[in-house]
Amino acid sequence: MQRKKVWVTIIAMTLVLSLLGCNNTKSEQGANGSEGGGKQLRQLMQFDRFEPNGDPVALYLKEKTGYSVKYEMLPAENADEKLNLLMANKEPYDVMKLGSAQYYQLVSSGALEPLDDLIEKYGTNMKQVISPDSWNGARYEGKIYAIPETGSGATSSNALVVRQDWLDELGLKMPTNLDELVTVLRAFKEKKNVIPLTGGKVPVHSDIASVFGLTTPWLERDGKIIHSVEAPEMKEYLTFMNTLYKEGLIDSEWGINTADKSIEKMASGKAAMYSPGWWIAPNLENALAKNFPDAKLAIVPVLKDKSGKARVGSPGNTINYYIAIPKFSKNKEEAMKWLDMKFDKDIFKGISIGEEGVHHKFENGAYTPIMPKFADERTNASAFLTGVDEKNYPTYWQARLKKNPFVESYFNTFQKNAEGLIETDPLGSAPPLPEISKNVQKLNKYEEDTFINFISGTEPLDNYDQFLAEWRAQGGADMVKAANDWYANR
Amino acid sequence: MERQWITARRTRSAIRMSVGERIFHVFNYLFFALVSWTTLFPFLNLLAKSLSSEEAVMSGSVSLFPVDIQFGTYLYVLSDSQFMRAFLVSVTIALAGTALGLLMTALAAYPLSKPRLRGRKFFILMYVFTMLFSGGLIPTYLLMQRLNLVDTLWVLFLPSMISVFNMLIIKNYFESLPEELEESAKMDGASNLTILFRITVPLSLPVFATIALFYAVGFWNDYFASMIYINTSELKPLQLYLKELLVHSNITYQDGGHVTNVDAVMNTTPQAIQAASILVATLPILLVYPFLQKYFVKGVLIGSVKG
Repeated sequence: MQRKKVWVTIIAMTLVLSLLGCNNTKSEQGANGSEGGGKQLRQLMQFDRFEPNGDPVALYLKEKTGYSVKYEMLPAENADEKLNLLMANKEPYDVMKLGSAQYYQLVSSGALEPLDDLIEKYGTNMKQVISPDSWNGARYEGKIYAIPETGSGATSSNALVVRQDWLDELGLKMPTNLDELVTVLRAFKEKKNVIPLTGGKVPVHSDIASVFGLTTPWLERDGKIIHSVEAPEMKEYLTFMNTLYKEGLIDSEWGINTADKSIEKMASGKAAMYSPGWWIAPNLENALAKNFPDAKLAIVPVLKDKSGKARVGSPGNTINYYIAIPKFSKNKEEAMKWLDMKFDKDIFKGISIGEEGVHHKFENGAYTPIMPKFADERTNASAFLTGVDEKNYPTYWQARLKKNPFVESYFNTFQKNAEGLIETDPLGSAPPLPEISKNVQKLNKYEEDTFINFISGTEPLDNYDQFLAEWRAQGGADMVKAANDWYANR
Repeated sequence: MERQWITARRTRSAIRMSVGERIFHVFNYLFFALVSWTTLFPFLNLLAKSLSSEEAVMSGSVSLFPVDIQFGTYLYVLSDSQFMRAFLVSVTIALAGTALGLLMTALAAYPLSKPRLRGRKFFILMYVFTMLFSGGLIPTYLLMQRLNLVDTLWVLFLPSMISVFNMLIIKNYFESLPEELEESAKMDGASNLTILFRITVPLSLPVFATIALFYAVGFWNDYFASMIYINTSELKPLQLYLKELLVHSNITYQDGGHVTNVDAVMNTTPQAIQAASILVATLPILLVYPFLQKYFVKGVLIGSVKG
């Protein structure tokens, strides 16, 4: 009996193992087999939650360009560690899509191939559609090491949203400046007994801080660059937030709220105001409608300062990703040819929004998706981009907004309210500056933690100068100097 | 030991308990009820969330009981091809890893349990050395690369075939078996392997069941190895899938200011589906527990206490 059992186990194990073995040899054969035929490339992507190799966009690209590309992704967490491992192993990728910190790290350690000559030779399409500003943003010590991928242009992503039905009920009018905002918040607190304004984690609330002139992390003052924490207005802003907190006009959990938690408070009728990103609109509206069918949300227009001026901050048309070719690539020329093909007018449009009549329609000067085909086949399109046609992409990607009416209307209202008011970050088009890449994360964390304490009053605002001195000593001064050096020679 | 405790308890209940003892008991039960409740609550909460409508979950009205019951989330999770593939990968790794791991660990433990092995102390020391020192992440990665294991299923269980800790437990258990059994088998002409598989192993079932559980849980829950070594999405096991599901939703919600990947922010996974995925992924390994748990106390105790 016992002997039989042992044998059964051993046979079962052998079976399992041989099955595993089969799988492996099969997939390896697949990879080697196609290498002989077409042109084979290997690309590293950023993490996204889908299977890139079977995606319709990948198949579309293979058909249009004639290159078969094997896509691999960095993991969701510890992506930088994994990237270091891959680089330590001289993994022969042909194309890599990198975030700015990753790009800076690889370029400074000499892992990337300078691309100037290759672009000169094969980059006819990309030279036309990428602006000189963006190219400059991808330079390192005078040479271009990556194709810069910008986004959808300068847009406004957040705005205050308020319970219109409560405003009506209490006979209040829509706030247009800070004093009116405080009046409205006080009324919500006294008469409705709810959290007047929820939000948190990020202590510099963009809708309120911009009234003080603090629109972006970096600011230009008299031709010089300063960081927003150095601006005297920052202390005024914190003082204002601190009075709101003391009066109970902002969420008492300001320091620990996540976006989910804030949406939850809005949707369950516990809070009256919140500043969501436009992409959260469907979640917020649907959940609220479920609980309170009569509730109505309204988008608050951009608040004005004492002189009647309103501002909206935007990072500008910054570079989101850098598309690089590593030194270890065996097919540098082929990679560049492939990358340039993707900038071809038709192919680029095909990647972003598919074919006309199949995936989208062109109506009233705008692209409208044809559902569900568009959602089925172009849902993950932006992950496949390796640089964008800077003139056309902003109009293309807006087709995505039309997948959901809430997203579309929120986005459009946000942009309409922000029209003519957008101030972009002066460092928006700067290349990765080593002093900034090195310090920015640590200093942002320090800023956030200290500001939360200032707002909640656990630390008196008299300590602000102390904070500033510490901030400068910990690398802030280096950052500001590097920013100014770049700005002066730009 | 055990018997003593039982008789002690009997006499105690026979004699009336003092007030202090009673208070102590009441407090004890309350305390442990509380402890078990805190471990149970997250599961019940997940279960309720997975059965509720997304709107109810979003508005935070779900705690212990589902609101607007629906089963669509489970249907979605079970029909998601990525989830099922990850599930299959995990099952394969857990089965192959446990079976092979047990075999290898027993084969390593058996000779080390015999005092007649020459240089036994030296070998044991070598094993223990690996518990304390390792090559570090990058050298290990390079080694796996040179062995052509990176991005294959093998890398997920071959390198962790023998856990020294488990091996020592089995070794100690083997040592506790009476030497005379082996001697008499030898007289009957049994070889070393016959003794191992026909006498020692059948006698050690409790410890094997325990170690099997250790390995199975370990392989099922392993996420780091797959994160480091696996690039192809078809080979991603369940834990990596789950991690990505959850991390992804968090990233996109927190990145308020600056939208880099438009598609990603608009494609977040609903919380109800996250909850259902976690439950479906945890259930199989939870179901293994009750069947092996009865061996647990016996197996580890006898194995670890030399006697």
